[in-house]
Amino acid sequence: MLALQLLVNGLVTGSALGLVAISFSLIYSTTKIFHVAHAGVYTMAGYVAWSLASRGMPDVVTLVVTVAACMAMGALIQHQLYARLERRRATPLVVLIASLGALAVMQNVIAAIYSPNILQFPVPWGSQMVVLGGVRLTWTQILTVLASLAAYGATVWFFHRTILGKQIRAVASNPFLAEITRLHPQRVYIIVVGIGSAIVALPGILVPLDLGLQPYSGITPLLTATIAMIAGGIGSITGSFVIAVGIAVLQNLSLLVIPGEWSIGITFFIFVIFMLFRPTGLFAAAR
Amino acid sequence: MDFLFSYIALAEVYVLLGLSTNLLVGIAGIFSVSQAAVFGVGAYIVAQLLMTETMGFVPAMLVASLVCIALNVLVTLPSLRVSGDYFVVTSFGIQLLATAVFINWTQGTGGANGLPGIPPPDLFGVMLETNAQLVMLTTVSVGLGCLAFWLIMRAPFGRLLRAIREDELAVAAVGKGVLQAKVSAAALAGAFAGSAGGLYATFLSFIDPVSFDLDASILLLTMVVVGGARTLAGSIIGPFLLLALPQVLTFIDIPTTIAASARQLIYGVLLIVFMLFRPQGLAGEKL
Amino acid sequence: MSAAYLEAAGLEVRFGGLLALRDCSFTVESGRITCLVGPNGAGKTTIFNVITGFLKPNQGNVAFKGQSLDGLTPQAIVGTGIARTFQNLRLFVDLTALDNVLVGLPAQAGEEPIGAIFRPLHVARAQKRRREEALATLDHVGLADRAHEYVRNLSYGEQKLLTVARVLATGAELLLLDEPASGLSAGALDGIMALLRRLQSEGKTLLVVEHNTRVVQQIADEVLFLHQGHLMATGSPAKIISDPALAEIYFGGAI
Repeated sequence: MLALQLLVNGLVTGSALGLVAISFSLIYSTTKIFHVAHAGVYTMAGYVAWSLASRGMPDVVTLVVTVAACMAMGALIQHQLYARLERRRATPLVVLIASLGALAVMQNVIAAIYSPNILQFPVPWGSQMVVLGGVRLTWTQILTVLASLAAYGATVWFFHRTILGKQIRAVASNPFLAEITRLHPQRVYIIVVGIGSAIVALPGILVPLDLGLQPYSGITPLLTATIAMIAGGIGSITGSFVIAVGIAVLQNLSLLVIPGEWSIGITFFIFVIFMLFRPTGLFAAAR
Repeated sequence: MDFLFSYIALAEVYVLLGLSTNLLVGIAGIFSVSQAAVFGVGAYIVAQLLMTETMGFVPAMLVASLVCIALNVLVTLPSLRVSGDYFVVTSFGIQLLATAVFINWTQGTGGANGLPGIPPPDLFGVMLETNAQLVMLTTVSVGLGCLAFWLIMRAPFGRLLRAIREDELAVAAVGKGVLQAKVSAAALAGAFAGSAGGLYATFLSFIDPVSFDLDASILLLTMVVVGGARTLAGSIIGPFLLLALPQVLTFIDIPTTIAASARQLIYGVLLIVFMLFRPQGLAGEKL
Repeated sequence: MSAAYLEAAGLEVRFGGLLALRDCSFTVESGRITCLVGPNGAGKTTIFNVITGFLKPNQGNVAFKGQSLDGLTPQAIVGTGIARTFQNLRLFVDLTALDNVLVGLPAQAGEEPIGAIFRPLHVARAQKRRREEALATLDHVGLADRAHEYVRNLSYGEQKLLTVARVLATGAELLLLDEPASGLSAGALDGIMALLRRLQSEGKTLLVVEHNTRVVQQIADEVLFLHQGHLMATGSPAKIISDPALAEIYFGGAI
């Protein structure tokens, strides 16, 4: 049944999107910076993984190196760009523009090195189909869902059950207080951006594994993810993840009635509804 | 000589866009990456009105400006309920949505192939067809635009906008309408961008979605950042400098496949460098 | 019996689990200088925020000259004749002193783009008159010779005077001043106290948050003592200051 297939496709896309959403949400709710360059880190993940896989690296090595590279890139941007701007007491507008600049640099370096055309991953097992209850799925898609749920679970556990996680949440809710209780907000920011960048590496690899690589296609998922973050309530990991899945499912189901090129209209429409009626989101974190 | 005319006319169109972006981003402090989208709306409207011989150039420009004013007002109005980052998401959303429309609504915009054969502008019955005549048109338009900008900035409205950029709360505390002022600034920005679009369409006689995408919005931001925010001089210097950049690049041997990426890369670098080391740009005030 | 000039009734303000104002009720009489005192965190600035519409109380309401201020925007409240200053000044730093005052003047021509672009001469002429008004206001607080200085070049004392000038520009009759005397040298202190008394003699009503007991003694007609979001005591300055129980709360011990 078509609707069921679309629903499942939506769940697959949504779970990957969910990771983009929670990683962005972590960074935004802690640093208060609208880190658009996150789309660049997301894009970078795919290309780094592709380069390694194309050279015959074992999958595990590819995964680890890619995640590490993304973590480093995120930390670099926070430490060398955002932290410097904060020391000069730059306005949020300035930081946003700088982040946009970083995004442009990353996307275009990738386009220059790898060409702006679509690249495919050389991983044959990924595209093998499996049929489950009338619905067709590739192994890549199954992996995407499993990996995303695992990463979501790990993130929730980390931030609610470990000491470091709680410290990070403390800094997020009150940087001033954190400063005077020796929690060093700046250090926490680097850690959080690092973790967020590591998390986003996963969908950064998994989505192109399914759909192919493109240098400029990071911004749309990021936009959708930020809408999920806002609608789900800034600071709520679960909220962002659930709404992201919801948006992806709705987008896919809408294909029954609207051509695919307009799917971004759906996302935007959802956003406008939330802005008008529930600007604080569905699951706004309790303070 | 013809080449020089082309450069000047194009630069002047971008000066109007620079004034528009400066009003929105530099003066009202609203982060916008959707200026190119509004530019495009203006261009397509004028192009269609002229091609279908529905009306002459001047009325077409008026229609385009009004539509773009309405568009910008619609976007800024809901900002009363939510924080500044709402704008960021909305702005990206509008830009991506507009690009989707420009590419997919073949009936209205010619789709990805664009609209060729846009007739030249007519002024009081006289057709302006040579490059020299077109440059005169753009120069007069830019002159009017700069005059309007100058008048605004030295009027109480300009002072109110500067105060809002510094401290919205204090402005509200002395009884002035912050939202109205911001919406007015956005409306003006829309008028400038829409008119620029109309001039662009008739000058080039061919438009396609590539001129109005996210990369174009980034270029506009770069112009304002490099030229300088919030000043007339900055709005003029930025476009003239940055439009000369592609010419300068042709002296360096860059393969055409990466020429576009190289340009965008440079814009990204300029954004970062200026935000870090010279936020006031060459001839502006600190962003 | 006519309604009180400014009346707050049963105000309650909660921030999450914190109760900033608790069944807070008081009145302010017209033409007087009323001082709002109390230890830090008592809720004084919160009261200002509620009166001026920046904060909506969970319960209770404020009425000015018999008219409820419930649901009015901050701008509308300024329109009724109430304006406030901020403890941390919030001046427009990159503007001149004159411009700071000009921003506060109500109903100016050219404050929106249509007028600015299409009637430039009219706007210019109107601005000339407004400039004179603004200069007169600056003169009134003693800053006439610093009119064209940027705020960042003014001394702290001058900046404080400027906050009063800006609030006067709005034409408000009830002025809420948040610590107008704090951080001032002895000379500047005398200057500002004289200014406040002069404003009162011109018919303004002042509600002043103040920590400095000397200032309170010298200028207040009435004192409201606030503690933990609730009005504990009212009375003349002499009565409040000499009350040992209140001093205990305020200083943690007698003066």
